[in-house]
Amino acid sequence: MTFMILTGLFVGALLGFVLQRGRWCLTGGFRDMYIAKDNRMFYALLLAITVQSVMVYALIAAGKVQFTAGTFSLVAIISGAFVFGIGIILAGGCATGTWYRAGEGLIGSWAALGFYMLTAAMMKTGVLAGITTSVSSAGVVNNSMAETLHVNTWILIAVLVLVVSVVLINYARRPKVKIPQLKPKKSGLAHILFEKRWSPFVTAVLVGLIAAIAWPVSEATGRMFGLGVTVPTANILQYAVTGDNQFLNWGMFLVLGLFIGSFIAAKASGEFRWRVPNAKTMVTSSAGGVLMGIGASLAGGCSIGNGLVMTAMMTWQGWIALVFMILGVWVASYFVFVRPTKQRAA
Amino acid sequence: MKKVLETAGKVCPFPLIEAKDAMKDLQSGDDLVINFDCTQATESIPRWAAEEGHTVSNYEALSDAAWTITVTKK
Repeated sequence: MTFMILTGLFVGALLGFVLQRGRWCLTGGFRDMYIAKDNRMFYALLLAITVQSVMVYALIAAGKVQFTAGTFSLVAIISGAFVFGIGIILAGGCATGTWYRAGEGLIGSWAALGFYMLTAAMMKTGVLAGITTSVSSAGVVNNSMAETLHVNTWILIAVLVLVVSVVLINYARRPKVKIPQLKPKKSGLAHILFEKRWSPFVTAVLVGLIAAIAWPVSEATGRMFGLGVTVPTANILQYAVTGDNQFLNWGMFLVLGLFIGSFIAAKASGEFRWRVPNAKTMVTSSAGGVLMGIGASLAGGCSIGNGLVMTAMMTWQGWIALVFMILGVWVASYFVFVRPTKQRAA
Repeated sequence: MKKVLETAGKVCPFPLIEAKDAMKDLQSGDDLVINFDCTQATESIPRWAAEEGHTVSNYEALSDAAWTITVTKK
Protein backbone atom coordinates (compact mmCIF):
# COMPACT_ATOMS: atom_id res chain seq x y z
CA MET A 1 0.00 0.00 0.00
CA THR A 2 2.75 2.44 0.99
CA PHE A 3 4.74 1.40 -2.10
CA MET A 4 1.68 2.00 -4.29
CA ILE A 5 0.97 5.45 -2.84
CA LEU A 6 4.59 6.64 -2.91
CA THR A 7 5.55 5.34 -6.36
CA GLY A 8 2.23 6.45 -7.87
CA LEU A 9 2.59 9.95 -6.51
CA PHE A 10 6.27 10.08 -7.48
CA VAL A 11 5.88 8.93 -11.10
CA GLY A 12 2.83 11.18 -11.44
CA ALA A 13 4.65 14.20 -10.01
CA LEU A 14 7.58 13.59 -12.33
CA LEU A 15 5.21 13.45 -15.29
CA GLY A 16 3.28 16.54 -14.17
CA PHE A 17 6.50 18.47 -13.76
CA VAL A 18 7.80 17.52 -17.21
CA LEU A 19 4.45 18.21 -18.91
CA GLN A 20 4.13 21.65 -17.32
CA ARG A 21 7.69 22.74 -18.03
CA GLY A 22 7.70 21.21 -21.51
CA ARG A 23 4.38 22.90 -22.41
CA TRP A 24 3.31 19.44 -23.53
CA CYS A 25 -0.17 19.93 -24.95
CA LEU A 26 -1.45 17.26 -27.31
CA THR A 27 -4.70 19.13 -27.90
CA GLY A 28 -2.74 22.17 -29.06
CA GLY A 29 -0.46 19.92 -31.08
CA PHE A 30 -3.28 18.15 -32.94
CA ARG A 31 -5.08 21.49 -33.42
CA ASP A 32 -2.01 23.21 -34.86
CA MET A 33 -1.51 20.45 -37.46
CA TYR A 34 -4.70 21.84 -38.96
CA ILE A 35 -4.97 25.54 -38.06
CA ALA A 36 -1.24 26.43 -38.19
CA LYS A 37 0.04 23.62 -40.49
CA ASP A 38 2.54 22.84 -37.74
CA ASN A 39 3.32 19.16 -37.01
CA ARG A 40 6.01 19.75 -34.38
CA MET A 41 4.01 18.45 -31.41
CA PHE A 42 2.75 15.44 -33.37
CA TYR A 43 6.32 14.51 -34.23
CA ALA A 44 7.25 14.91 -30.57
CA LEU A 45 4.43 12.51 -29.67
CA LEU A 46 5.75 9.98 -32.21
CA LEU A 47 9.18 10.23 -30.56
CA ALA A 48 7.69 9.63 -27.09
CA ILE A 49 5.76 6.61 -28.44
CA THR A 50 8.94 5.19 -30.00
CA VAL A 51 11.06 5.61 -26.85
CA GLN A 52 8.39 3.90 -24.76
CA SER A 53 7.80 1.13 -27.29
CA VAL A 54 11.45 0.09 -27.47
CA MET A 55 11.89 0.19 -23.69
CA VAL A 56 8.68 -1.61 -22.73
CA TYR A 57 9.14 -4.38 -25.31
CA ALA A 58 12.71 -4.80 -24.03
CA LEU A 59 11.27 -5.14 -20.49
CA ILE A 60 8.71 -7.66 -21.80
CA ALA A 61 11.53 -9.65 -23.47
CA ALA A 62 13.41 -9.58 -20.15
CA GLY A 63 10.32 -10.92 -18.38
CA LYS A 64 9.90 -7.77 -16.28
CA VAL A 65 6.58 -6.63 -17.77
CA GLN A 66 3.49 -8.57 -18.82
CA PHE A 67 1.16 -7.40 -21.55
CA THR A 68 -1.65 -8.97 -23.56
CA ALA A 69 -3.30 -6.92 -26.27
CA GLY A 70 -6.59 -8.88 -26.22
CA THR A 71 -9.50 -7.63 -28.33
CA PHE A 72 -11.23 -4.30 -28.83
CA SER A 73 -14.44 -2.90 -30.30
CA LEU A 74 -13.98 -0.94 -33.51
CA VAL A 75 -17.30 0.85 -32.99
CA ALA A 76 -16.44 1.95 -29.45
CA ILE A 77 -12.90 3.05 -30.30
CA ILE A 78 -13.82 5.05 -33.40
CA SER A 79 -16.86 6.79 -31.91
CA GLY A 80 -15.23 7.31 -28.50
CA ALA A 81 -11.97 8.72 -29.86
CA PHE A 82 -13.84 11.11 -32.18
CA VAL A 83 -16.07 12.42 -29.37
CA PHE A 84 -12.98 12.72 -27.14
CA GLY A 85 -11.26 14.80 -29.84
CA ILE A 86 -14.18 17.23 -29.93
CA GLY A 87 -14.26 17.35 -26.13
CA ILE A 88 -10.59 18.27 -25.69
CA ILE A 89 -10.92 21.27 -28.03
CA LEU A 90 -13.89 22.58 -26.06
CA ALA A 91 -12.15 21.87 -22.75
CA GLY A 92 -8.95 23.57 -23.96
CA GLY A 93 -6.78 20.57 -23.14
CA CYS A 94 -6.81 16.78 -23.13
CA ALA A 95 -7.44 14.73 -20.00
CA THR A 96 -3.82 14.96 -18.89
CA GLY A 97 -3.58 18.58 -20.00
CA THR A 98 -6.65 19.40 -17.93
CA TRP A 99 -5.05 17.81 -14.85
CA TYR A 100 -1.87 19.79 -15.24
CA ARG A 101 -3.60 23.07 -16.08
CA ALA A 102 -5.70 22.59 -12.95
CA GLY A 103 -2.30 22.53 -11.20
CA GLU A 104 -1.40 25.84 -12.87
CA GLY A 105 -4.49 27.40 -11.27
CA LEU A 106 -6.84 27.57 -14.26
CA ILE A 107 -10.40 27.51 -12.91
CA GLY A 108 -11.78 26.56 -16.35
CA SER A 109 -9.70 23.38 -16.20
CA TRP A 110 -11.12 22.57 -12.77
CA ALA A 111 -14.61 22.74 -14.29
CA ALA A 112 -13.58 20.53 -17.22
CA LEU A 113 -11.90 18.09 -14.84
CA GLY A 114 -14.98 17.84 -12.60
CA PHE A 115 -17.30 17.02 -15.48
CA TYR A 116 -14.77 14.67 -17.07
CA MET A 117 -14.47 12.78 -13.78
CA LEU A 118 -18.25 12.64 -13.43
CA THR A 119 -19.10 11.36 -16.92
CA ALA A 120 -16.17 8.90 -16.89
CA ALA A 121 -17.50 7.42 -13.61
CA MET A 122 -21.07 7.40 -14.98
CA MET A 123 -19.90 5.49 -18.06
CA LYS A 124 -17.89 2.98 -15.99
CA THR A 125 -20.15 2.07 -13.08
CA GLY A 126 -23.02 4.57 -13.16
CA VAL A 127 -26.28 4.99 -15.06
CA LEU A 128 -24.52 5.08 -18.44
CA ALA A 129 -22.57 1.83 -17.89
CA GLY A 130 -25.12 -0.04 -20.06
CA ILE A 131 -24.23 2.15 -23.05
CA THR A 132 -20.51 1.46 -22.59
CA THR A 133 -21.18 -2.28 -22.43
CA SER A 134 -23.44 -2.44 -25.48
CA VAL A 135 -21.28 -0.21 -27.71
CA SER A 136 -18.13 -2.08 -26.62
CA SER A 137 -19.61 -5.39 -27.72
CA ALA A 138 -20.07 -4.23 -31.34
CA GLY A 139 -17.41 -5.02 -33.94
CA VAL A 140 -14.96 -6.74 -31.59
CA VAL A 141 -11.68 -7.67 -33.30
CA ASN A 142 -8.16 -8.75 -32.42
CA ASN A 143 -6.07 -5.91 -30.99
CA SER A 144 -2.49 -7.04 -31.59
CA MET A 145 -1.02 -5.64 -34.83
CA ALA A 146 1.71 -8.30 -34.77
CA GLU A 147 -0.85 -11.12 -34.62
CA THR A 148 -3.09 -9.74 -37.37
CA LEU A 149 -0.14 -9.09 -39.68
CA HIS A 150 1.68 -12.32 -38.72
CA VAL A 151 4.95 -10.56 -38.00
CA ASN A 152 7.16 -10.27 -34.95
CA THR A 153 6.42 -7.17 -32.84
CA TRP A 154 10.06 -6.12 -33.17
CA ILE A 155 9.61 -5.76 -36.93
CA LEU A 156 6.79 -3.28 -36.27
CA ILE A 157 8.96 -1.45 -33.75
CA ALA A 158 11.83 -1.33 -36.28
CA VAL A 159 9.47 0.19 -38.86
CA LEU A 160 8.33 2.77 -36.30
CA VAL A 161 11.93 3.65 -35.37
CA LEU A 162 12.82 4.03 -39.05
CA VAL A 163 9.80 6.18 -39.95
CA VAL A 164 10.19 8.42 -36.89
CA SER A 165 13.93 8.84 -37.55
CA VAL A 166 13.28 9.96 -41.14
CA VAL A 167 10.53 12.35 -40.01
CA LEU A 168 12.72 13.89 -37.29
CA ILE A 169 15.81 14.22 -39.51
CA ASN A 170 13.71 15.96 -42.17
CA TYR A 171 12.21 18.22 -39.55
CA ALA A 172 15.65 19.12 -38.15
CA ARG A 173 16.81 20.14 -41.64
CA ARG A 174 14.19 22.81 -42.20
CA PRO A 175 15.33 26.45 -41.94
CA LYS A 176 15.32 27.61 -38.33
CA VAL A 177 14.19 30.93 -36.91
CA LYS A 178 15.41 32.33 -33.63
CA ILE A 179 12.55 32.43 -31.15
CA PRO A 180 12.70 35.44 -28.78
CA GLN A 181 13.05 34.39 -25.13
CA LEU A 182 12.29 36.00 -21.80
CA LYS A 183 15.36 37.53 -20.16
CA PRO A 184 16.81 34.92 -17.79
CA LYS A 185 16.51 35.85 -14.10
CA LYS A 186 17.83 32.53 -12.80
CA SER A 187 21.05 30.64 -13.50
CA GLY A 188 22.42 27.10 -13.45
CA LEU A 189 20.06 24.26 -12.56
CA ALA A 190 17.30 26.63 -11.45
CA HIS A 191 17.34 28.20 -14.91
CA ILE A 192 17.08 24.82 -16.65
CA LEU A 193 14.35 23.49 -14.34
CA PHE A 194 12.24 26.57 -13.72
CA GLU A 195 12.80 29.04 -16.54
CA LYS A 196 14.37 27.76 -19.74
CA ARG A 197 12.20 26.86 -22.69
CA TRP A 198 12.30 23.07 -23.10
CA SER A 199 12.51 21.65 -26.59
CA PRO A 200 9.41 19.55 -27.31
CA PHE A 201 11.70 16.74 -28.41
CA VAL A 202 13.65 16.69 -25.12
CA THR A 203 10.29 16.69 -23.33
CA ALA A 204 9.13 13.84 -25.60
CA VAL A 205 12.10 11.65 -24.64
CA LEU A 206 11.43 12.32 -20.93
CA VAL A 207 7.72 11.53 -21.37
CA GLY A 208 8.62 8.30 -23.21
CA LEU A 209 10.99 7.28 -20.39
CA ILE A 210 8.43 8.02 -17.67
CA ALA A 211 5.77 6.10 -19.65
CA ALA A 212 8.12 3.10 -19.85
CA ILE A 213 9.05 3.20 -16.15
CA ALA A 214 5.34 3.34 -15.26
CA TRP A 215 4.82 -0.21 -16.59
CA PRO A 216 6.98 -2.28 -14.17
CA VAL A 217 6.20 0.01 -11.21
CA SER A 218 2.45 -0.15 -11.75
CA GLU A 219 2.55 -3.92 -12.37
CA ALA A 220 4.42 -4.42 -9.08
CA THR A 221 1.23 -3.18 -7.37
CA GLY A 222 -0.98 -5.54 -9.39
CA ARG A 223 -2.24 -2.98 -11.91
CA MET A 224 -1.25 -4.50 -15.27
CA PHE A 225 -0.92 -1.35 -17.35
CA GLY A 226 1.31 1.69 -17.86
CA LEU A 227 0.28 5.34 -17.77
CA GLY A 228 -3.47 5.88 -17.73
CA VAL A 229 -5.61 8.85 -16.86
CA THR A 230 -9.31 8.22 -17.52
CA VAL A 231 -9.96 5.12 -15.41
CA PRO A 232 -7.89 6.49 -12.49
CA THR A 233 -9.73 9.83 -12.69
CA ALA A 234 -13.07 8.01 -12.54
CA ASN A 235 -11.69 5.86 -9.69
CA ILE A 236 -11.11 8.96 -7.54
CA LEU A 237 -14.81 9.84 -7.67
CA GLN A 238 -15.91 6.21 -7.35
CA TYR A 239 -13.71 5.72 -4.30
CA ALA A 240 -14.70 9.07 -2.79
CA VAL A 241 -18.44 8.30 -2.91
CA THR A 242 -18.42 4.55 -2.19
CA GLY A 243 -15.38 4.12 0.06
CA ASP A 244 -14.92 0.79 -1.75
CA ASN A 245 -11.28 -0.33 -1.76
CA GLN A 246 -11.62 -2.03 -5.16
CA PHE A 247 -11.32 1.44 -6.72
CA LEU A 248 -7.99 2.16 -5.00
CA ASN A 249 -5.08 1.58 -7.35
CA TRP A 250 -1.73 2.90 -8.51
CA GLY A 251 -3.29 4.98 -11.28
CA MET A 252 -5.27 7.07 -8.82
CA PHE A 253 -2.07 8.18 -7.12
CA LEU A 254 -0.48 8.71 -10.52
CA VAL A 255 -3.06 11.34 -11.52
CA LEU A 256 -2.98 12.99 -8.09
CA GLY A 257 0.81 13.13 -8.40
CA LEU A 258 0.47 14.64 -11.87
CA PHE A 259 -1.53 17.48 -10.40
CA ILE A 260 0.99 18.00 -7.56
CA GLY A 261 4.00 17.88 -9.91
CA SER A 262 2.47 20.43 -12.22
CA PHE A 263 1.63 22.70 -9.31
CA ILE A 264 5.23 22.52 -8.03
CA ALA A 265 6.62 23.26 -11.51
CA ALA A 266 4.24 26.17 -12.09
CA LYS A 267 4.72 27.64 -8.62
CA ALA A 268 8.52 27.45 -8.77
CA SER A 269 8.53 29.01 -12.25
CA GLY A 270 6.25 31.91 -11.34
CA GLU A 271 3.51 30.49 -13.55
CA PHE A 272 0.91 29.65 -10.93
CA ARG A 273 -2.02 31.95 -10.43
CA TRP A 274 -5.74 31.37 -9.94
CA ARG A 275 -7.13 32.41 -13.28
CA VAL A 276 -10.88 32.82 -13.72
CA PRO A 277 -12.18 32.68 -17.28
CA ASN A 278 -15.36 34.38 -18.46
CA ALA A 279 -18.73 32.62 -18.21
CA LYS A 280 -18.67 31.49 -21.85
CA THR A 281 -15.30 29.75 -21.42
CA MET A 282 -16.54 28.07 -18.21
CA VAL A 283 -19.57 26.65 -20.02
CA THR A 284 -17.51 25.53 -23.04
CA SER A 285 -14.89 23.90 -20.79
CA SER A 286 -17.56 22.08 -18.82
CA ALA A 287 -19.21 20.78 -21.99
CA GLY A 288 -15.76 19.68 -23.15
CA GLY A 289 -15.29 17.79 -19.89
CA VAL A 290 -18.59 15.96 -20.39
CA LEU A 291 -17.59 14.83 -23.91
CA MET A 292 -14.07 13.88 -22.78
CA GLY A 293 -15.42 11.54 -20.09
CA ILE A 294 -17.90 9.88 -22.45
CA GLY A 295 -15.44 9.62 -25.32
CA ALA A 296 -12.49 8.34 -23.32
CA SER A 297 -14.65 5.72 -21.58
CA LEU A 298 -15.93 4.36 -24.90
CA ALA A 299 -12.48 4.46 -26.47
CA GLY A 300 -10.92 2.78 -23.45
CA GLY A 301 -8.40 5.58 -23.06
CA CYS A 302 -7.56 9.21 -23.60
CA SER A 303 -4.71 10.83 -25.51
CA ILE A 304 -2.32 9.18 -23.01
CA GLY A 305 -3.89 5.73 -22.54
CA ASN A 306 -4.56 5.27 -26.25
CA GLY A 307 -2.49 7.96 -27.98
CA LEU A 308 0.77 7.43 -26.09
CA VAL A 309 0.57 4.00 -24.44
CA MET A 310 -1.55 1.67 -26.60
CA THR A 311 0.19 3.01 -29.73
CA ALA A 312 3.59 2.13 -28.22
CA MET A 313 2.25 -1.35 -27.41
CA MET A 314 1.58 -1.82 -31.14
CA THR A 315 -2.17 -2.25 -30.84
CA TRP A 316 -4.82 -1.35 -33.42
CA GLN A 317 -6.78 0.31 -30.64
CA GLY A 318 -4.00 2.84 -30.00
CA TRP A 319 -3.36 3.86 -33.60
CA ILE A 320 -7.02 3.88 -34.71
CA ALA A 321 -7.94 5.93 -31.63
CA LEU A 322 -5.10 8.36 -32.38
CA VAL A 323 -6.34 8.93 -35.95
CA PHE A 324 -9.97 9.50 -34.94
CA MET A 325 -9.02 11.64 -31.95
CA ILE A 326 -7.09 13.91 -34.33
CA LEU A 327 -10.05 14.01 -36.74
CA GLY A 328 -12.34 14.99 -33.86
CA VAL A 329 -9.91 17.77 -32.92
CA TRP A 330 -9.86 19.07 -36.51
CA VAL A 331 -13.65 19.07 -36.87
CA ALA A 332 -14.08 20.92 -33.56
CA SER A 333 -11.23 23.32 -34.47
CA TYR A 334 -13.02 24.25 -37.67
CA PHE A 335 -16.12 25.33 -35.74
CA VAL A 336 -14.33 26.91 -32.78
CA PHE A 337 -11.34 28.63 -34.44
CA VAL A 338 -11.37 28.57 -38.25
CA ARG A 339 -14.95 29.48 -39.10
CA PRO A 340 -15.24 32.41 -36.63
CA THR A 341 -11.97 33.86 -38.02
CA LYS A 342 -13.28 33.61 -41.58
CA GLN A 343 -16.57 35.21 -40.57
CA ARG A 344 -14.75 38.14 -38.96
CA ALA A 345 -12.63 38.59 -42.07
CA ALA A 346 -15.68 38.53 -44.37
CA MET B 1 1.31 53.72 -33.93
CA LYS B 2 0.93 51.46 -30.93
CA LYS B 3 -1.98 49.17 -30.24
CA VAL B 4 -2.54 47.33 -26.94
CA LEU B 5 -4.33 43.98 -26.92
CA GLU B 6 -5.58 42.73 -23.54
CA THR B 7 -6.16 38.98 -23.60
CA ALA B 8 -5.89 38.14 -19.88
CA GLY B 9 -8.32 35.38 -18.92
CA LYS B 10 -8.44 34.00 -22.45
CA VAL B 11 -7.13 30.48 -22.98
CA CYS B 12 -4.92 29.38 -25.83
CA PRO B 13 -5.03 29.65 -28.76
CA PHE B 14 -7.26 32.76 -28.50
CA PRO B 15 -4.51 35.26 -27.54
CA LEU B 16 -2.59 34.26 -30.66
CA ILE B 17 -5.69 34.29 -32.90
CA GLU B 18 -6.56 37.79 -31.65
CA ALA B 19 -2.97 38.95 -32.12
CA LYS B 20 -3.01 37.75 -35.75
CA ASP B 21 -6.31 39.56 -36.30
CA ALA B 22 -5.07 42.79 -34.71
CA MET B 23 -1.85 42.67 -36.72
CA LYS B 24 -3.80 42.83 -40.01
CA ASP B 25 -5.01 46.36 -39.22
CA LEU B 26 -1.52 47.69 -38.46
CA GLN B 27 1.04 49.30 -40.79
CA SER B 28 4.64 48.25 -41.14
CA GLY B 29 6.63 49.61 -38.17
CA ASP B 30 3.60 49.77 -35.87
CA ASP B 31 3.80 48.13 -32.45
CA LEU B 32 1.34 45.59 -31.09
CA VAL B 33 1.51 45.11 -27.32
CA ILE B 34 -0.09 41.80 -26.29
CA ASN B 35 -0.80 41.18 -22.60
CA PHE B 36 -1.64 37.56 -21.86
CA ASP B 37 -1.83 35.02 -19.04
CA CYS B 38 -2.08 31.74 -20.94
CA THR B 39 1.13 29.79 -20.25
CA GLN B 40 1.27 28.10 -23.66
CA ALA B 41 1.32 31.50 -25.37
CA THR B 42 4.79 32.16 -23.90
CA GLU B 43 5.86 29.72 -26.60
CA SER B 44 3.31 30.24 -29.37
CA ILE B 45 3.29 34.06 -29.61
CA PRO B 46 7.07 34.63 -29.87
CA ARG B 47 7.28 31.67 -32.26
CA TRP B 48 4.60 33.17 -34.50
CA ALA B 49 6.28 36.59 -34.43
CA ALA B 50 9.67 35.11 -35.35
CA GLU B 51 8.28 32.91 -38.11
CA GLU B 52 6.35 35.83 -39.63
CA GLY B 53 9.49 38.00 -39.56
CA HIS B 54 8.14 40.56 -37.07
CA THR B 55 10.49 42.02 -34.44
CA VAL B 56 10.00 41.41 -30.74
CA SER B 57 11.15 44.56 -28.93
CA ASN B 58 9.96 43.76 -25.42
CA TYR B 59 9.03 40.47 -23.80
CA GLU B 60 8.75 40.11 -20.06
CA ALA B 61 6.87 38.55 -17.17
CA LEU B 62 4.81 41.20 -15.35
CA SER B 63 3.99 39.05 -12.32
CA ASP B 64 3.12 35.41 -11.62
CA ALA B 65 1.58 33.98 -14.78
CA ALA B 66 1.17 37.33 -16.55
CA TRP B 67 3.24 38.36 -19.51
CA THR B 68 3.58 41.19 -22.01
CA ILE B 69 5.15 41.10 -25.44
CA THR B 70 5.61 43.91 -27.95
CA VAL B 71 5.70 42.88 -31.59
CA THR B 72 6.72 45.38 -34.28
CA LYS B 73 5.16 44.66 -37.64
CA LYS B 74 7.64 43.98 -40.44
